[in-house]
Amino acid sequence: MIDGTAAHLVVSGITKRFAALTVLDRVDLAIARGELVTLLGPSGCGKTTLLRLVAGLTLPDNGHITIAGRDLTKVPPHRRNVGVVFQSYALFPHLTVAGNVAFGLNVRRRPKSEVAAAVHRALQLVHLEHLAERPIAALSGGQQQRIALARALAVEPDVLLFDEALSALDRNLREEMQIELRRILREIGATAIFVTHDQDEALTMSDRIAVMNHGRIEQCARPREIYTRPASLFTLQFVGLSSRIAGTVAASDNGRIQVETPVGRFEAAGTLAPGDRAIVATRPEYLRVGSDGGGNTATGTIRTIVYQGSRCLVDVEAASGQSLLASLSGDQAADLSTGAPIRLSWPVTETFAFPAPEARP
Amino acid sequence: MTTPTAAPRRVPKLGRERLAAVGFALPALVVLMALFVAPLAVLFAASMRGPDGPTLDHYGRLLGSATYLGVIWNSVKLALETTTIALIVGYPAAFAIGRARGALRSLLLASLFLPLAASVIVKAFAWTILLRSDGLVNLAMMALGLTQAPVRLIFTETALIAGSVNIFLPYMILPIYTVVAQFDRRLVEAAATLGASPVEAFLRVVVPLTLPGVIAGVALVFSLSVSAYVVPTLLIGERYQTLTTLIAKAYLLAQQPEFGAAAGVVLLLIAVVVVTLSARFGRPVRGRS
Amino acid sequence: MSARFAIAIAWTAAILAAAFLLLPLAVIAAASFSPTPVFDLPITGASLRWYGRIGSLDGFWPALGLSLMIACVATVVSLILGTVAAIAIAQGRMPGAEAISTALVAPLMLPGLVLGIALLNYFRALGLTATTTSLLLAHLIITLPYVARTMIAGLARFDFTLIEAARTLGCSWHQAILKVMVPALAPSYLTAALFSFLASFDNYPVSIFLTDARTKTLPIKMLQYIDEAPDPTIAALSTLILLATILLLFVSDRVVGLHRMAGTGE
Repeated sequence: MIDGTAAHLVVSGITKRFAALTVLDRVDLAIARGELVTLLGPSGCGKTTLLRLVAGLTLPDNGHITIAGRDLTKVPPHRRNVGVVFQSYALFPHLTVAGNVAFGLNVRRRPKSEVAAAVHRALQLVHLEHLAERPIAALSGGQQQRIALARALAVEPDVLLFDEALSALDRNLREEMQIELRRILREIGATAIFVTHDQDEALTMSDRIAVMNHGRIEQCARPREIYTRPASLFTLQFVGLSSRIAGTVAASDNGRIQVETPVGRFEAAGTLAPGDRAIVATRPEYLRVGSDGGGNTATGTIRTIVYQGSRCLVDVEAASGQSLLASLSGDQAADLSTGAPIRLSWPVTETFAFPAPEARP
Repeated sequence: MTTPTAAPRRVPKLGRERLAAVGFALPALVVLMALFVAPLAVLFAASMRGPDGPTLDHYGRLLGSATYLGVIWNSVKLALETTTIALIVGYPAAFAIGRARGALRSLLLASLFLPLAASVIVKAFAWTILLRSDGLVNLAMMALGLTQAPVRLIFTETALIAGSVNIFLPYMILPIYTVVAQFDRRLVEAAATLGASPVEAFLRVVVPLTLPGVIAGVALVFSLSVSAYVVPTLLIGERYQTLTTLIAKAYLLAQQPEFGAAAGVVLLLIAVVVVTLSARFGRPVRGRS
Repeated sequence: MSARFAIAIAWTAAILAAAFLLLPLAVIAAASFSPTPVFDLPITGASLRWYGRIGSLDGFWPALGLSLMIACVATVVSLILGTVAAIAIAQGRMPGAEAISTALVAPLMLPGLVLGIALLNYFRALGLTATTTSLLLAHLIITLPYVARTMIAGLARFDFTLIEAARTLGCSWHQAILKVMVPALAPSYLTAALFSFLASFDNYPVSIFLTDARTKTLPIKMLQYIDEAPDPTIAALSTLILLATILLLFVSDRVVGLHRMAGTGE
């Protein structure tokens, strides 16, 4: 984590309600200069609202937003110097490509020569300088996306904000743009917030990911940590695949707990008290065939085997229909066949335990 | 940081935004009230004005006499005939225009817009020229051998209907065209793959999906032709009284504004019924079992 | 019935409809060049003399001036009122927005003649006797629905994110409206203005009840000419009006495209 003093953008204690609905609930977030942070979460989690609050398009009910040491909480959007790339791109249909990119600079009444140079630079950065005089309607989706980026970059904003900016592109183009965008943002050292519901996009793009749910940030960490050390059941489920088994804590000792489940007794790191309902979980990569993969073992029958090139994803049906997902290397999976019994094991250090969610009424 | 008064402040703020929106709509609403609602209220009052207070006598005179009922029927009949013919011609025509592309589409749309933009008086005047005994229509009919001697066309019901369809046909074609132009032709292909013959696909897919355009067109043409005034005045004259000519006469010649107002209210009701029905049934098809 | 046969029927209907619709316009144009006072067929020659007589028609210039003035003023005022109301409706923050948009378009569906006598009664009741003022007010309610309908449709398609984009790029709220919304809506304005102007300029059934012996709009004058002496001068005048209309439509087609106007128009 970055400490507050070094942070370039600080969101503190932000709460936002729409009528009776609390969309953001005391959200804190600090972003360092040059860092790209993704807000990842399902629709309705408040990620877009948080982005709009930073842009000034919505005002918070409580809390503060500071960029580069300037308190912007009540500053209208046009005095914030932020760049936004909208989901729909929001390119002005009555202007050319160059007209769109120049818009922010013209509004700032920069001299003509300076505007022309900045437009050229911004278009060069997105490799579309040859389209400068085209009307917007003549561009493809991918080109529009780049123009929207160029327009946001041209004003040299303090923070760049992307609202589901790649979601309208088809898959190949989107993956290409993810890498391209990464390159551009690195090149100019931009501080950026990237809103997405696509976990692959978040894992690819971000320095850090803030996983959001129900108006709160559940966890904010580097992509690897989000994946390997999910801080909550929600993060575990929302990012990546996992095997989850419900049970009851049988013993708790010094940060280690034993959880009794229909599949067997598992050990995990955790501080739950004996008698608590708990979910033990692990990622498919940690499972091995046989008993020597770690301290936790389970048996079952192979339900399906999905070949994924160098690895195989194996779905094992354990006791009482419980599903265990294992991602196995090619040679480990070579002898497996559907319907065959199998024993799996995984390390205690890679086993997570979370309190079981209370049954909803 | 967290002041207790900060949260409830949003409520009046939202109210202010609403108030601003209402303020934006207000000038137009004031005009609508002052120049539309109020005049109609005055008209309604005038239609019931009698020498000794409110009366329904004018309505009684209008609806109790065979002559005036005939006049009302004349208006409705003109509208029904115009609408029917316009629908029969307009529906397939709208499809063709919807399929047309490029210059052909521009040409066909121009042939709708130009007459639409041209003055009704100009067009009605043209029909008086066309339908004269030595006019183009008679010459053409004689040339084709349809008739030996010139036929009397002007000041007949045929002339009236021809002129009326001519003037109101674009109002039928355009709403249908708008729907057809947005129509996804893959739906017909989908219907075909599901076993529908072309006729079935047309009846089960095309017709229901274009129905909103048809209903809009029918309502528009009916309400416009039932209230047409210039067309009957120029193309048929005294021999075919309609509600509109009756109203004009009551005001401009006979000085019977109360009777004219009653006739006006009846005409208004006919138009309102048609428009209300079309609004009720003309909503786009959403999904039905 | 094969699909091919149905398509043939559709094309036939479209071409016949187009010819049928253009027929009276062609006839008027042809008649205006008639060498004789009656429009003889077949045409034996061409003459422009009727065009020279338009200006000497009794009361032509004042009628034209009045009609143009009323159409322009009514259109401009309607554009302002209609656009501002459409913005309020499109932003959706207003209670009863749908009802208001229906109400604003409602006068379109009302028989013009009924509106005419209603306004006549109303202005008499108010003691308003100034003809030009009555005509202006009446034409305001004739044109407002055309503008409201087109602008509501135009704004319904307007992406309000554009305003937000302009805001984040440094525009204040009113700058964003002026620099983004107004130009992006230019096609709608043009369509609205065109329909509104033509609706006013061509109006007969409302104006007839509000004019007096000295103050008459052009359509009323024209019907009077046709009644009194239907000679090719009227055809020549009609042809000129038609040419002006074609010019307007041509410009609109260049700027907006007729197929887009069909969506927002009639």
